[in-house]
Amino acid sequence: MTANTAGTELLVELTTTVNGEEVTATVPPRLHAADFLRSRLGLTGTHIGCEQGSCGMCTVVVDGEAVKSCLMLACQLDGRTVQTVESLATDDRLDPLQQAFKDAHALQCGFCTPGFLMTATALGYQGSCPSRAEIREEIAGVLCRCTGYENIVSAIENWFAGVPQPGSGDETGSGGRAGGPR
Amino acid sequence: MTTLDRPVAVDTAPAASRGVIGSSVTRKEDDRLLRGDGRFTDDVEPAYLLHMAVGRCPYPHARIVRVDASRAWTLDGVKHVLVGTDVRAATEPLTVLRPVPGAPSLPYYALAQDVATHEGQPVVSVAATSRHVAEDALELIDIEYEPLPHVVDVLAALEPDAPVLHPSVLDSNLLAANSDGSGDPERRMLEADVVVEGRFRINRVTALPMETRAVVAEWRPGARELTVHISSQVPHLIRKQLAETLRLTESEVRAVASDVGGGFGLKLGVFPEDVLACLHAMALRRPVKWVEDRAEHFRASTHARESVHDYRIAADATGRILAMTDVYATDIGGWNSPFGSAQLSSVVLNGPYRVEDGYAERRVTLTNKTPVGAYRGYGQPEVNFAYERLMDTLARRLDIDPVELRAQNMVKQQDLPWKNPTGAVYDSGDYERCLRMAAEAIGWSAHRTAGRVPRADGRIAGIGFSSFVERTGYASARFLARRGSQFGAHESVTLRANRSGGIDVYTGVSTMGQSAETAFAQVVSEVFGIDYTAVTVHAGDTGASPLNTGAFASRTMIAAAGALREAAEELAAKTVRLAAARLEIDAAHLEIAGSVVRRRDDATVGVPLAEVFTTAITGQGIPPGEDPGLESTSHFEPSDAAYSFGTAAALVSVDPGTGEFDVERFVMVHDAGTVVNPTIVEGQVRGALAQGFGAALSEELRYDGDTGQLVNGSMLDYFVPTAADLPPIELLHTEVASPVTPFGIRGVGEAGTIPPGAAVANAICDALADYGVALSSLPITPEAVWRALADQAASGTPDEHLTPTPGDLPDGGVGY
Repeated sequence: MTANTAGTELLVELTTTVNGEEVTATVPPRLHAADFLRSRLGLTGTHIGCEQGSCGMCTVVVDGEAVKSCLMLACQLDGRTVQTVESLATDDRLDPLQQAFKDAHALQCGFCTPGFLMTATALGYQGSCPSRAEIREEIAGVLCRCTGYENIVSAIENWFAGVPQPGSGDETGSGGRAGGPR
Repeated sequence: MTTLDRPVAVDTAPAASRGVIGSSVTRKEDDRLLRGDGRFTDDVEPAYLLHMAVGRCPYPHARIVRVDASRAWTLDGVKHVLVGTDVRAATEPLTVLRPVPGAPSLPYYALAQDVATHEGQPVVSVAATSRHVAEDALELIDIEYEPLPHVVDVLAALEPDAPVLHPSVLDSNLLAANSDGSGDPERRMLEADVVVEGRFRINRVTALPMETRAVVAEWRPGARELTVHISSQVPHLIRKQLAETLRLTESEVRAVASDVGGGFGLKLGVFPEDVLACLHAMALRRPVKWVEDRAEHFRASTHARESVHDYRIAADATGRILAMTDVYATDIGGWNSPFGSAQLSSVVLNGPYRVEDGYAERRVTLTNKTPVGAYRGYGQPEVNFAYERLMDTLARRLDIDPVELRAQNMVKQQDLPWKNPTGAVYDSGDYERCLRMAAEAIGWSAHRTAGRVPRADGRIAGIGFSSFVERTGYASARFLARRGSQFGAHESVTLRANRSGGIDVYTGVSTMGQSAETAFAQVVSEVFGIDYTAVTVHAGDTGASPLNTGAFASRTMIAAAGALREAAEELAAKTVRLAAARLEIDAAHLEIAGSVVRRRDDATVGVPLAEVFTTAITGQGIPPGEDPGLESTSHFEPSDAAYSFGTAAALVSVDPGTGEFDVERFVMVHDAGTVVNPTIVEGQVRGALAQGFGAALSEELRYDGDTGQLVNGSMLDYFVPTAADLPPIELLHTEVASPVTPFGIRGVGEAGTIPPGAAVANAICDALADYGVALSSLPITPEAVWRALADQAASGTPDEHLTPTPGDLPDGGVGY
């Protein structure tokens, strides 16, 4: 990471890996990571809800851990590996976690959904299989105002169990596979 | 009692369901949202975009003496600055969509003129090359304020010595008082064996959608075309209001609400910042974006619910209710927001209980606080807390089982439809059945028999109930006209066949989590016979949808289902006629099935829908007498509002030493009429319950009386429930079809917000009955319970209460 100035504003250079691609960018030091992902890289699936680290809308995975990207500066991504919601689906197929959310009706307006998906993704990297109560605690850093959480907890539980839900429709031909954390 | 000459409701058997109505197909909306591919307003990023930031009044009440923006104009990147006089010159005052009957209009501009009446009211705005620069520029604007005396308490605001917020049009802070009622409730009070009464304080809360408000405005002067992407529940009403305020014709305004990250009533109508973004864009000929930050959201969107209810119930010695009255002051804040404060407390004054003598008087009160607007439930949770707390008080006073007292007084199924004292017509339902189901599920009789025996750890368990009705939809455009509302009771859709063999549905209802795309496609699939997957819903664009009303008041499906049915029937009839000509088979022998039109008695004989649709679209090969094209637009208004209903029961254990309590079980029995999609309905009920629990147990916006400042305006200090906070919830449903709506559907979006407060409070008061605890305020916190334990005298009957305004009550009021 190097610093330089353009006009009167200090600029910082960073190199980071986002969704498997190396990115080099020059940014103002006050640009936070969520704004960087959204407005510089066009990864608008990462949402912003409070910019105080309270709501969890902007949660992404950095070096395998769930991070609220509104509390990180873009320049802090230098040398690190970032995963956003856009990394989950492959072509036309939803990732098993996304499919579990769809099958369980775990989203309504969908604004918080990327935050929950990335929180759960990081939880999956931990390797253990959490109980429902543990899932509730683990996802308590992301707020949802639509669902009452019950179906989000079920979706994550089902994903860990690696089972597709009975009766899950497949009207869009988008998936329905079994699968759990990678 | 008023029994109307109407067809009586059908029995409780589920309405016969064909096709996909009644099935839990997965949602149309999900794939894009799961992939991070939704298009929320902040995701719209046109070329040459500028960003807006808004400077706001830091005082609850202040005169704006001087504004000097000269230094801001000199900052590199600043393109435009607006001050109050600019807005006054270029716009009309913001309009109100749902006026308070009898209230004068308050001249509310997008920027404060001489006086600001609440903390957070916009005073200046800047458009610049980035949000950072725009916010830097705000720091350079010099504003001199003269703080004025303020009032934030709703009852204090009605006192004669209170500072008056709008002295140019009002002598006091009473914006208007609205009375509705029937019979002679005061006489019944005198005749009654028992009268219970209480003052119930309802907390100020906010909807807090996860996506804040947002707007992107683009102006093409040569085309005279203002395109506004906006996070709104009502794009067609946005278009109306922006045209009025900006002195444009509606032809010149297009409003687009793509994906909306939650609304809950908060995103109804035009806010000041929407106008400001348009003004900047029109001045600069460049697109301008504003995304509300969360600190702004807490101060400049709308709040909800705050009110003080003085409620009375009169009964005879057997427990029969003789009269119910509610005089309540509802806080509207510093201005009249597009929807203003709630009136549904008056509409469902008596809940599910039969009473002939009753009235409600609403006193709409101005205070130096953020304006109040609609929020899921909108008056119904508030009044439910009052009457359901008093039902338990009455049961205890008369030593009657509270379940039996409720059952005894509920409107009976055979008496429906029935008109309540404020003019609401309850359409159909079996209220007592829901109550009995809840009582059984929660184990009421065993609890009642066992009594309040402390557990080994000293905690005492209590059970509380809350029974409710919920008005869904509106009682016709005639009703809305009497209230001065600036919108209709109908919904409208356009259905258009395409050459791929699919049907496109165009609606002005924006997508905000309510699953309208899915439910609309289900109705089209059901009625037309086409595959669910072949129906695509295009939502929320005024440039591509018929004029409609919008997504609020639990009314979308009960109105839209009718429009969808009519349009689909018309389209299906023509499709079959065209296929009949093509196949040279009588239309009576044909049916639409999935992707083909085929013989009813021989599925091998048919023609693909894609072929029939192409024939219609090109007009090549259509029979004589048929017009080309395959498109249908329908508008539908239900004959009346439909009333959902239910009962919730809470099992709560309380520590009588500390007041700490735990909601161990919560049972919700609910009826939403015919269910289009059970999974979605359950999701709506659960989501509303979560918001209901937040308002009941943890959410409260507090203002400091001395400074008039909102003291907890951040997500760090305002506690919405997380996944770890909610109690176990058990859902049970009944399904009584409504006779007043298509397919018998009742609205479902709001019911869950209603019963949590009263059910939990009643459970705690049941557990602590031997301690004389009577809760009368929301939210219910362990501290509130502890204080009630410590000071029993402080709860219960108030020393003073709001007396009704003298004068005769209109019989039934203007009616609901």
